[in-house]
Amino acid sequence: MIEGMFNQTNYVATKKMMDATILRQEALASNIGNVETPGYQRMDVSEDFKGQFAKAIAEGGIDSLKGLKPNLEVDSTAVARDETGNTVDLESEVLKLSENQIAHQLESKIVTGALAKLRLAITGRP
Amino acid sequence: MPGADTTVSALNAERMRLEVISQNIANANVTKTPEGGAYKRKEVVFESVLNNAIHSNNGNTQSPMMVKVGRVETDETPGLTINDPDHPDADEEGNVTLSNVNIHEEMVDMIMASRAYEANLSAIKFARSMAVQTLSIGRK
Repeated sequence: MIEGMFNQTNYVATKKMMDATILRQEALASNIGNVETPGYQRMDVSEDFKGQFAKAIAEGGIDSLKGLKPNLEVDSTAVARDETGNTVDLESEVLKLSENQIAHQLESKIVTGALAKLRLAITGRP
Repeated sequence: MPGADTTVSALNAERMRLEVISQNIANANVTKTPEGGAYKRKEVVFESVLNNAIHSNNGNTQSPMMVKVGRVETDETPGLTINDPDHPDADEEGNVTLSNVNIHEEMVDMIMASRAYEANLSAIKFARSMAVQTLSIGRK
């Protein structure tokens, strides 16, 4: 019965989103660190993962959702900011960093909510 | 904390850059060095290095890059030559070559380096708050 709780699409999807959020934090930290590195190209969570994730949610298939693994790719849409070909824009990276933090807060609230439901089912109404 | 080692490497590199900038400012008026001639300004060049710990469990996809100071380059642009026969380092004709440090350029560089340092600090703060948030999962 508990397995059913942890196999809900929303719960599994939130866990995957959290994985992606943590990975994105690493990518953004790398981008900010390399803001002055000649020729560095900014990276982000891959569009491929985003597409597959959206598709899995739309289809509601729990197995395809579970098999997903977020990965990073070089952001090919970013334009060079200086003559060395560095594509990091410090302001937008910091903005993305704070967006990412809010996203992480939301995701951990959803997980906490799911666990609170389980606790309520065990203990009953206080 | 996610990305902490990357940020730490960047903080180290930026601090090194600040050290080189302050060395340039301190030596702006030096006309005699052990290598001979006036002081030549130094410039750091950053390099990204692969973070092996993350790369190994990430397969063949792109992985976050750490930063290091690749090399310190010497700016060989000749400094200004002035005529000052009273100067102790003047040659027979009374000419002195000054260092090629431009204080204004160094100040701008310094501001950029300290802003980059601050941006990395805020990245660490975000990583920390995410870690704290993760620990509070399941709490009421």
